[in-house]
Amino acid sequence: MSAPGKTEPTEAIARARTGDADAWGALYREYAAAIFRFCRRALPTREDAEDATMDIFAKLMRDNKLLQYDQSRSFSAWLYRVAANHCWDVLRRRKTRQDKETDDLENVPLEHPDPNQLDKLIEQRTSEEVRRALDKLGARARMALVMRYYSDMSYDEIADALGVRRAFVGVVLLRARHELRQALGQSGALAAGGTS
Amino acid sequence: MKEADNLSGDAAMQHLDEMTCLMYIERQLDRARAQEVSAHTQDCTVCRTLLRALERESRLLTRAMVEEEEALPARLAQFQERARKSMQWIWTVAFGLAATGVYALYAWYVEPLQRELEKAGFGGSNLLSLLIFQGAFWKGWQPMITLLEVLALVIVAGFTLAFFRRRVRRGSALAVVLAGFCGALLLQPAPALASEMRKGESVGVSRDETIRGDIFLFGDRVRVDGSVDGDVFLFGNDAIVNGHVKGDIIAFAKFLQVNGDVDGNIRAFTNTMTIRGAVARNVLTFVDILNLESAAKVGGSLTIFVENLTLEGTLGRDVLMFGKHFTLSGKVGGGIRMKGDELTINSNAEVDGPIRFEGNKEAEVATGANLASPVEFHKLEHKPRYMQGHYYVWRVIWTAAFVLFGVVLFLLMPKFAAETVAAAELFGAPIGLGVLIFFGVPLAAIIACITVVGIPLGIFAAGFWLLMLCTAEIVVGTVVGIWILGKAHDTAGLIGRMALGLVLVRLVYTGLEQMHVIGLLTGLGILMWGMGAISLALYRRLQPAIAGGASGPYTPPLPPNTTVGGMQPA
Repeated sequence: MSAPGKTEPTEAIARARTGDADAWGALYREYAAAIFRFCRRALPTREDAEDATMDIFAKLMRDNKLLQYDQSRSFSAWLYRVAANHCWDVLRRRKTRQDKETDDLENVPLEHPDPNQLDKLIEQRTSEEVRRALDKLGARARMALVMRYYSDMSYDEIADALGVRRAFVGVVLLRARHELRQALGQSGALAAGGTS
Repeated sequence: MKEADNLSGDAAMQHLDEMTCLMYIERQLDRARAQEVSAHTQDCTVCRTLLRALERESRLLTRAMVEEEEALPARLAQFQERARKSMQWIWTVAFGLAATGVYALYAWYVEPLQRELEKAGFGGSNLLSLLIFQGAFWKGWQPMITLLEVLALVIVAGFTLAFFRRRVRRGSALAVVLAGFCGALLLQPAPALASEMRKGESVGVSRDETIRGDIFLFGDRVRVDGSVDGDVFLFGNDAIVNGHVKGDIIAFAKFLQVNGDVDGNIRAFTNTMTIRGAVARNVLTFVDILNLESAAKVGGSLTIFVENLTLEGTLGRDVLMFGKHFTLSGKVGGGIRMKGDELTINSNAEVDGPIRFEGNKEAEVATGANLASPVEFHKLEHKPRYMQGHYYVWRVIWTAAFVLFGVVLFLLMPKFAAETVAAAELFGAPIGLGVLIFFGVPLAAIIACITVVGIPLGIFAAGFWLLMLCTAEIVVGTVVGIWILGKAHDTAGLIGRMALGLVLVRLVYTGLEQMHVIGLLTGLGILMWGMGAISLALYRRLQPAIAGGASGPYTPPLPPNTTVGGMQPA
């Protein structure tokens, strides 16, 4: 999952595992911004994201969780997984009324979108609008979308983080997309009624 | 026209559902199903459009999330420095807690117990109790106690401040407990501290002078002719005590003569020591030559590490001696235990207890000597250890004990154990640090003890050094185990590797030990490596904050792979 051309910070990780402060500093500088943005997308407020970012790195250092990292795999992927677990824990702890309402919505059957209208909607919407719409989603929907489309986590990893069966991840993602479209204010127009 | 044809054709076929399309672009379909979808979308415009829309939606989502619309908050940039400060604070608290705990343990349990034991007639000949729990060595605690009280006060203040500033959260209960503990500690009445210090080429207490409290005397020539109503601490080349000391004498001197009376103990590190007066309690010395002249009377016991001991006076209780020559002409009220070269008991000697002598040749006992029982002699054997069967039995027992000790340590401190082993795998740094620790810490401990007020620190450092010495082999054993079995993923795995590695290390070392120099070097290498790794892990723990500049350049988030439809990747 590393960015193209980006090499794994193997040496810094090895040194950080022994508690080397400089190595921790290097890893923090390298990854703090990305983890903050992950948390910013996953959590409701900026303050939450800041707290979460600090908590994630503080826990990594304090518990030396790097010892659990398998060096044969991508470090950034592992770090995102840690961040995802942390954010999901945060969200679960403060499960709000809104989340409960969202849970209820998950039993509602999904309507098949009109491909042309969906295509048109996607073309018209800006990144800014999508970000605003993301903020309106339920915790699980937002978390799933962030894990998949920001940090490119696999279905297995998403299932693991959310505590659902792997086969259910696709459903979670599809429902999240529908929620997003609804938040974008176009769900009614999109649902042109079963073309299949 | 062509588009219209396609649409009319599409109307006749079954379209793909949205989930299948999503799974297709997410590469979650198996090969057969993916090929079906691919074939279908070749002909079906509606499904092709849906696929394209879903893929564009994926890209839009990624773009929206990856785009940076907010700068990295300053709070995060400052996090490093705050983390550093936070961790320092935690370690200060941990140290304070440990220090106050040790003091409380001593004040509430050890001291009263010791008093009771002494009343019951125990103590006196036990080296450990002499060194640690008895009499004047504790006097050095007084400044430390004051320091601890200040430290406790600071901790209470710090916790209170943090408590009201929020953020203690989970630690708040601990804060209250600690605050209460420290508060209770501060309510303990501190004993009055009255001491005097004199320095100079020639210093002392004159004949007509009486010192109320303890006195510290530093000089080339030190002389106590007057009376001291407390302890006397002597540091000098030539020291003479002619006066009356109501407390203990603690001496670090080349020559020491005690002609006067001492109501307490004598603890001395000297070259030559002569006692002519009366010592009410015990004598403990590390000395080359010790003479207890005929006028000397020691009420308690004599514990000595000595080259030559001549005892002509009277000793109330036992003699415990490690040295070379012991000539006895006086009276010993208790027994004698000696390990050395020669024991000579003259005709006018009297010993009321058993005599056990471990040496090279039998004791010479004059016919007129009045002994409670014959001398029990054990000849020191110099056979090579590897020729002795019990050597191997003990090696096995010790190996098992080390493994058990390692298991306990690993279970008690799994994270620290893993950190230590990780530190050991760096090789260069731990071995270098180990050399420093191996030689430096004992030296520092001795220096600390010489300063008297640093005795507790010195004893603590020496104790910790010994603990590291005992655990060094376990660390090295674990590294060897990892070499053989590979990385461990949990504590149980680490323990398994430790057990295997430790057995191998001890096996190899038992073989190498017979080749003197190689064995010695190997042993030292193992100890230094292990001790260095422990020290390095500890150092890292004490320096856990991340370092570096306040904020680094922004690193863009790692973009995910673009979603391209197809089958599930292998």
